[in-house]
Amino acid sequence: MTKVQNRKIETRIRYSVIGVLMGFGLLGHAKVNAETIDAQRVYNLALANTCASCHGTNGVSVPGAGVPVINDLTAEQIAESMRGYKDGGREGTIMHQLAKGYTDEQIEIIAQVLGKK
Amino acid sequence: MNRRIFLGQSAALLGASAGMNKLALASSKTKAKVVVVGAGYGGATTAKYIRMLSNNGIEVTLVEPNSDFISCPLSNLVIGGSQQISALTTPYDGLSDKYGVNMVKDRVTKIDAQKKTVTTGNGSTLAYDKLVLAPGIDMNFDAIEGLAEASRDGNALQAWKAGPETVALHQQLADMPDGGVFAIAIPLAPYRCPPGPYERACQVAHYMKQNKPKSKVIVLDANPDVASKGKLFKAAWNDIYPGMVDYRPSHRVIGVDGKNKTIRFEFEDELKADVMNILPPMHAGNLVKEAGLANMNDRWAEVSFLNFASTQAKDVHIVGDSIQTAPRMPKSGHMANQQAKVTAAAIVAEINDFPVNPNPVVTNTCYSFVDTNMVVHVASVHQYDSEKATFLAVKGAGGLSPEANQLESVYAWGWAKNIWSDTVA
Repeated sequence: MTKVQNRKIETRIRYSVIGVLMGFGLLGHAKVNAETIDAQRVYNLALANTCASCHGTNGVSVPGAGVPVINDLTAEQIAESMRGYKDGGREGTIMHQLAKGYTDEQIEIIAQVLGKK
Repeated sequence: MNRRIFLGQSAALLGASAGMNKLALASSKTKAKVVVVGAGYGGATTAKYIRMLSNNGIEVTLVEPNSDFISCPLSNLVIGGSQQISALTTPYDGLSDKYGVNMVKDRVTKIDAQKKTVTTGNGSTLAYDKLVLAPGIDMNFDAIEGLAEASRDGNALQAWKAGPETVALHQQLADMPDGGVFAIAIPLAPYRCPPGPYERACQVAHYMKQNKPKSKVIVLDANPDVASKGKLFKAAWNDIYPGMVDYRPSHRVIGVDGKNKTIRFEFEDELKADVMNILPPMHAGNLVKEAGLANMNDRWAEVSFLNFASTQAKDVHIVGDSIQTAPRMPKSGHMANQQAKVTAAAIVAEINDFPVNPNPVVTNTCYSFVDTNMVVHVASVHQYDSEKATFLAVKGAGGLSPEANQLESVYAWGWAKNIWSDTVA
C-alpha cells in the first residue's frame, strides 16, 4: 500500500473517530487539540486490545501458538476479513460470531491500529 | 504525591509544547502511582496495560503472594490427567522485566481508602493515587455444613483456583478404586467459570474411560439445568461417555461428612462418593468483602462499567470475578482480561485528566475440552450502553460451536498461549 493510500485511510479513520466523539457530545466543536489526540490514541488502542486476548498483545501472537496470525496483515486486509466475517461472506469457527459484535467504524479503527505498518 | 499538582504541572507543560505526548512528559515528573492487588487474569493485565497505555508514565505496583501465574482455564485437563500443572504455569518475570511493573510478593491485609494506602502482610504501607482490586472469588464454606472442615482435611476439595489443590484432586481420582463415584457439586449461578464444572465432568469421565471404566461421575447441580453450553456438554456425556456421567439437576447440597464421604441435599436422599469435589456458593474475594466493597447483597462489588470504579470508594477500581457483572457477562478469565483493559485505559485517562472512553467494548471467548482433543466454545461481545449505564451483549453476535470439533482444540491452546502472554508475559 502506498503512503498516500495510508494517509487517506488514516485521515478517514481520524474523522470517523472525531465523528463518534462528537456523537457522544465530547467535542463541542471540531477542533482537535493535543488532549483529544491523547484520548483518541487510548480509545483506539483500547478497542484493538479486545483482540489481544486471543491474537496476542498488539496482535503479535506467541510463535506457533496456533491461532491464525493477524500481525502480518495490512489494515485493509484486516478490515476486509472482519467485514467478511460480519457480513457472512467468510466462514469461521468463532470470528464470524465475534465480528458481528463490532460496528463498521470499530472494525476500521481496529484494522488501522493492528494493521502492518 | 499530590495528583492535582501533578496534573497541573503536566497541563502547563502541555500548553508549552502542543502536540507532544503528554504522557511522555508526565514521565519526567513525579509519577502517578497505581497499586494493583492480585495478579490473575484481571489484575496482571490491568498492571501491564496501564504501563503500556501510559508509555510507562504511571508507576504500577502489583501485589501478589504467588511467584507464578497458574491458569484456571485448562486446569480441568490436569484433573483429568492429560496435562501437568507446569504446562499452565507462567512466571511473572515478564511483567517486571518487559513492562517495569513493580512486583511485591505479598498479600494486602488492609485498605485505607481515606489515606489512599494499602498495608501488606509484612507491614509495609503502599500509597496510591488509584487502587485496583482483583482478588477473584472466595468460597462461602458456611453455606454447606461440614464443608470447611472437610475441605481443610482434604476430604472435599474445590480445586477452583488452579494450583496444588488441582493436583491433589487429580491424585484422589487416580487413587479411587475402579467402580468408584466422583461427585461434583455445583452452586447456583453466578459462580466463577460457568462451564467449568461441566468440562470437569468430561475430563473426569475421560480419565475413568481410560483407567477405571466401571466408575461414575455424578454431577450434582443446584441449577435447574446445565448453566453453560448445555446441549454440547450433554451430547459429549451421551456420545463419548455413555453411562458414565450421571447429571442430576436441582440438587442443592446442604451438608457433607468428610469422614464418611457422604453428601446431604435439601430434598433428595444422601449420597456416598469416593471423591467429593464440592463447590459452595462463591462471593467477591475476601479482600473486597472485608473492605466493605461487596455492596451488592454483601456478595459482589458494584462498579461503574465505564471505568470499573467501585461505587463505594473513590479511586478504587475492581476488576474480574469480584464484581457484580453486567447482564449475560460471565465470570471468566477472558472477561477479566478484557475488563482489565477497559480499566487500564480509564485509569490512564483519569490520571491524565481526559475523559474516559465513552464507548468501551469487551468480548468473551471460552473454550471447553470435552475430551483431550475435542472442544466447544461460547463467545459474546458486550458494548457499553450509555443510556442503561451497563454493558449489553450484542444481539446476533456471539454464540456456540455447532458441535465438538478438533480444530477448536488447536485454537483453544492457541488462545491459552496468547492470553497467558497477553496477561503476564
